Amino acid sequence: MSTVSWITARGLFGRRRFLLLLPLPALLLVLAIVSRSLGVDPGQWGPPVLVGLGLAVVLPVVALIVGTGVLGAEIDDGTVVHILTKPLPRWQIVLPKLAVATGVSAATVAVPLYVAGVLADSVRLGLGLAAASALGALAYSALFLVLSLLTRRPVLLGLVYVLIWEGLLGRFVDGTKVLSIQQWVIALADRIAPTELLGTTVSVPVAAVLTALVVVGSTVLAIDRLRSFSVAGETS
Amino acid sequence: MSEPTGVIHDIGYQRYTGPRLGRWHVFGALYLHGLRTAFGLGRSAKAKIFPWLVMGIVLVVAAGLTAVRTQTGQVVMTYAQFADAMSWLVIFFVAVVGPELVSRDLLSGVLPLYFSRPLPRGDYALAKLGALVSALWLLLGAPQLVMFLGAAFTTKDGLHGVWTELGDLLPGLLYAALWAVVFASVGLLIASLTGKRAFAAGGIVAVFLMTAPIVGILSIMPSRTVNELAMLGSPTALIHAVGAYTLGDLLVPGGQTEDQIGDFGPLYVTVAVLLVASCVALLLLRYRKVAAR
Repeated sequence: MSTVSWITARGLFGRRRFLLLLPLPALLLVLAIVSRSLGVDPGQWGPPVLVGLGLAVVLPVVALIVGTGVLGAEIDDGTVVHILTKPLPRWQIVLPKLAVATGVSAATVAVPLYVAGVLADSVRLGLGLAAASALGALAYSALFLVLSLLTRRPVLLGLVYVLIWEGLLGRFVDGTKVLSIQQWVIALADRIAPTELLGTTVSVPVAAVLTALVVVGSTVLAIDRLRSFSVAGETS
Repeated sequence: MSEPTGVIHDIGYQRYTGPRLGRWHVFGALYLHGLRTAFGLGRSAKAKIFPWLVMGIVLVVAAGLTAVRTQTGQVVMTYAQFADAMSWLVIFFVAVVGPELVSRDLLSGVLPLYFSRPLPRGDYALAKLGALVSALWLLLGAPQLVMFLGAAFTTKDGLHGVWTELGDLLPGLLYAALWAVVFASVGLLIASLTGKRAFAAGGIVAVFLMTAPIVGILSIMPSRTVNELAMLGSPTALIHAVGAYTLGDLLVPGGQTEDQIGDFGPLYVTVAVLLVASCVALLLLRYRKVAAR
């Protein structure tokens, strides 16, 4: 474990506000367990819990808070200078931070989704959801990491993407679903464990290729941006 | 011990002898400043991007609805339903403006400066709350006004038609005010907990979004009473239930209100009032303690 990833992990866990991440997955678990124990038909509670809460809310929001936090928090309080002035290649800064962000988001989201998937259908669905949401966490983290280098307000821009693009437009304009990480995750999970609970219009190859493209593209762009990064004080 | 030799020179500073405006002027100034901050007025272009993005989207939607109505005569959404349809944008707007109003002051540590004025701590919180409520009400009210103007100028029934339309608009505006009050009090309470705008925005969105599926789950539980009480699960649904109870057909056409909330209308109203009251009370409590450190 490199020093950068160590610092990043401590920056995330060292503060009390990390506890804010826990209610979301906990709620997912509680809803799944309550629905299961009361004997509600999984076909009814599956989609709202697994997709409506798990993949559409918990995954992007956790990835947003963590992904913008690993680098954005240091940029905000100016301590990023300490890392930037070390003789490290930029990829040795971006990749460990991306790894930590992905690991934390994936662990926070995949575990409750696995349990909920098992309760809803089968171990296979649980594993499928966990694997797909880990991939989704990677894609979201890469995207939000590069956002925190491109703009001073990464969280709001990330929320525009999550709320307006994926949430609002995804519901009314079907075509935008092709460019939505949420739909790719659903497509991949449905491919690994075909059930009636998940459904999307995006085909699996498209989802896989686009996910890889977002991950690689965002990471390369982040490394390139960090190469010529200028530390500026807050304006406006 | 020698005699003190220091002298205090009068170098001619003038004292302020004009009128002192007092508490309510401070309150008014803070409220106005908050309202301007909400829309980024008097600040750089960067601060205007997100509020006006949301405002632009709702106005475009309203213009689209008006166009559909004038061309085909079909009412896609009533005024009250408009607020419900825009709920995700309202959440985003609160996530943008709420932290802007209170988190910046917490982070930069200017609160002791505010509280050294004749401004009670509660007034600071209430002025910010008032600003957020007004901004949200404008966000939901302005598009409804656009829709009303479109309908009023194309009505076939003359002045009578305009009058009926106005009768539809006013409940819509009241319903928008309900949205504004509930969302502002919950959102501002969350924002006032942290000085980091990023965390405040994430927290607000998380709270509003994670509560929505609770309603979905409760409404499929195998108990009629639980189904009818399901809308207590999230602020958005709570507002909708109160609206359905008080406005009836204007919000939920076809008299389906009974199916949704049963006889629990008064309970929903009580819970909504309690929610707002407790959020405001917690906000005031928070500002009694904050900046004392």
